[in-house]
Order: sequence, then structure tokens, then C-alpha cells
Amino acid sequence: MRVNHWADEFLEEDPDDSFVRPYTITHGRTVSARDDLTLITVISTLTAPDGLVDGRGLEPEHRFILDQCRTPCVLAEVAARLNLPVAVAKILIGDLIDAGRVSARPPLAVAVGQRPDISLLQAVRDGLRRL
Amino acid sequence: MDYDDSDRRPAAAAPAPAAVKILIAGGFGVGKTTMVGAVSEVAPLRTEEYLTVAGVGVDDVRGVADKATTTVAMDFGRITVSSGLVVYLFGTPGQERFWFMWNDLVHGALGAVVLADTRRLEGSFGSIDFFESRGIPFVVGVNCFDGYQDRTVPEVREALDLDARVPILMGDLRKRSDSRDLLLALVDHLMADQSVAAG
Repeated sequence: MRVNHWADEFLEEDPDDSFVRPYTITHGRTVSARDDLTLITVISTLTAPDGLVDGRGLEPEHRFILDQCRTPCVLAEVAARLNLPVAVAKILIGDLIDAGRVSARPPLAVAVGQRPDISLLQAVRDGLRRL
Repeated sequence: MDYDDSDRRPAAAAPAPAAVKILIAGGFGVGKTTMVGAVSEVAPLRTEEYLTVAGVGVDDVRGVADKATTTVAMDFGRITVSSGLVVYLFGTPGQERFWFMWNDLVHGALGAVVLADTRRLEGSFGSIDFFESRGIPFVVGVNCFDGYQDRTVPEVREALDLDARVPILMGDLRKRSDSRDLLLALVDHLMADQSVAAG
């Protein structure tokens, strides 16, 4: 016979709480104050002059991002690895940019109606041919 | 102790690479994630976004729009083409109506690959209309499992009402070489476009 433990009730709670939780992490913010972050903005962790990554005063998710972006990584990948929606990742990364803990490199955006640089296309082509 | 931002240095030894984006579009179940997986150097990653959608049955008398939030997921992968350049492949959500709300998804893309299944070509109409109306260059890939082709390229072109300049390729998207050839066709198409513009 299985004896129910008092805590079982919590374990059996609907695990699909993914909608509420992300905005708990952001302290209720649902929209990033920054509008310059895109899916493929490259995020790079910055170190203090002593060479250490400074995670003091940050949420665990912020520290996860700092750890992940020691090797530069795009925003969409940060969101995927954290299992958080893009909007939430933008807020957290925005916090880190404001705090000077990461840098952001905008993508080589191609404006509609404009053609990308021919040397960029050549580099993409050469890389694909090696696949 | 606090530091000025200017005192901080990148943790990585190499500078951050530049990133570009190619969209992989087409109807539901046409093979978008298959293609991303075939060429990506990592297993396809999944991410999602919340989009606010105007609800149906809006009460016009009060003038208050009924809004609902929907979650849209997409798979993506990456190809590092050089130490300074990474190509990201984004499999777009099946329903094009979401793309209009998700500007970040299509904004700044080099171009797109529209995948088609000859048994349900109509599944690709929405993607083609979208890219044509936005002026985003694209190529069409017809997914032929095990080389099975029940339509010719001219037949597909006619059925999809495609401009003669839009490349159409047949291939098995599970094969890295076939999926890569589609991406190469897109890059060649972009380069040809440029030489026309320059000439």
C-alpha cells in the first residue's frame, strides 16, 4: 500500500506552469525596455578587470546567461537553452547589458529591398560548400 | 567593488562572430525541422515567443479589443561558416499570420527557403505570398523522400505560379547534401540578383 506523503500534493501539481513562471523571473516585466535586441543579436559575457565573471546580485537565470555567453551566443539560443520564451530572455539580457555584464553585437541585418554585401554572400557560400 | 563598464573585457578570446539568418518556411509537416537538422552543427533548438493576437468576436460597441496571447514555437539551428560568421536557420511557424506579428523573425533575413510537398502544394502558397509581398528573395525546395518525384519542376512552377527566376530544386531533405544544395541555390540566387542590380 502506498502511503501518501503530505508533500505529494505539491509534486503532483500541474507541471505546465511555464506561462506564469517566466514573468516571476523578470519581476513582472513582460516587455523589454530595449527594442534593439533581435533573435540573432550575439551576446558576449564581459569580465571584470580581475578576469572574473561578476554574478553578484543577480538571479540564477542571469548567472546562467553569463556562464553560457563566455562563448558568444545569439539571443535565440540563450532563450532555448534556458527554456524561456524569447521575450523573457530579452528582458534578462537587457538587465545584463544595463549592468555592463555582457555586450551585444547586432546582426548583419539586411534591409528589405537592399541586397546583402557580395563578400558576405561569398563567405556564406564558401562555408556551405564545406558542409 | 564596482567597475566602470569600460574596464570590463570580453570573456572569450575571440571577438564575437557576426550572425546572419535564413528562414526555412512551408506548410505544416513539410520538413522544415528535418532540413534544419540535416545541416545544423547542433541538434535543432526550440524556442518560443508569446504573441498578442486580436481576438475574434470583438465587442465593437464598447470599442475594447479582445486580445489573447498565443505561444508560437520554432526550431532553429546554426552553421558556423567561418570564425567570424555564423548562419542561423530558423524554421518558421506554419501559420503565416503569426509572421506579421513576429517582426523580429523575418526582419533582416538574407532570404528564405520555401519547402513544398507535391501532395499538398497549397500548403506553401502562404509562405510564397508572404515573401513575394515583402520582397524577400527565396528558393523553393520540393521534398522528395527517397528520390520519389511525382511532379516535374515545370509542373511545380506552374502549380505554384512562380516567377521563372525563382529556383526550384527537388531533393531529399534528410540528406545533408540535398539540404545544403538548397541553401547554396539561395545564395546563388541572391548573388545573381546582385549582379543584375549592379549591371
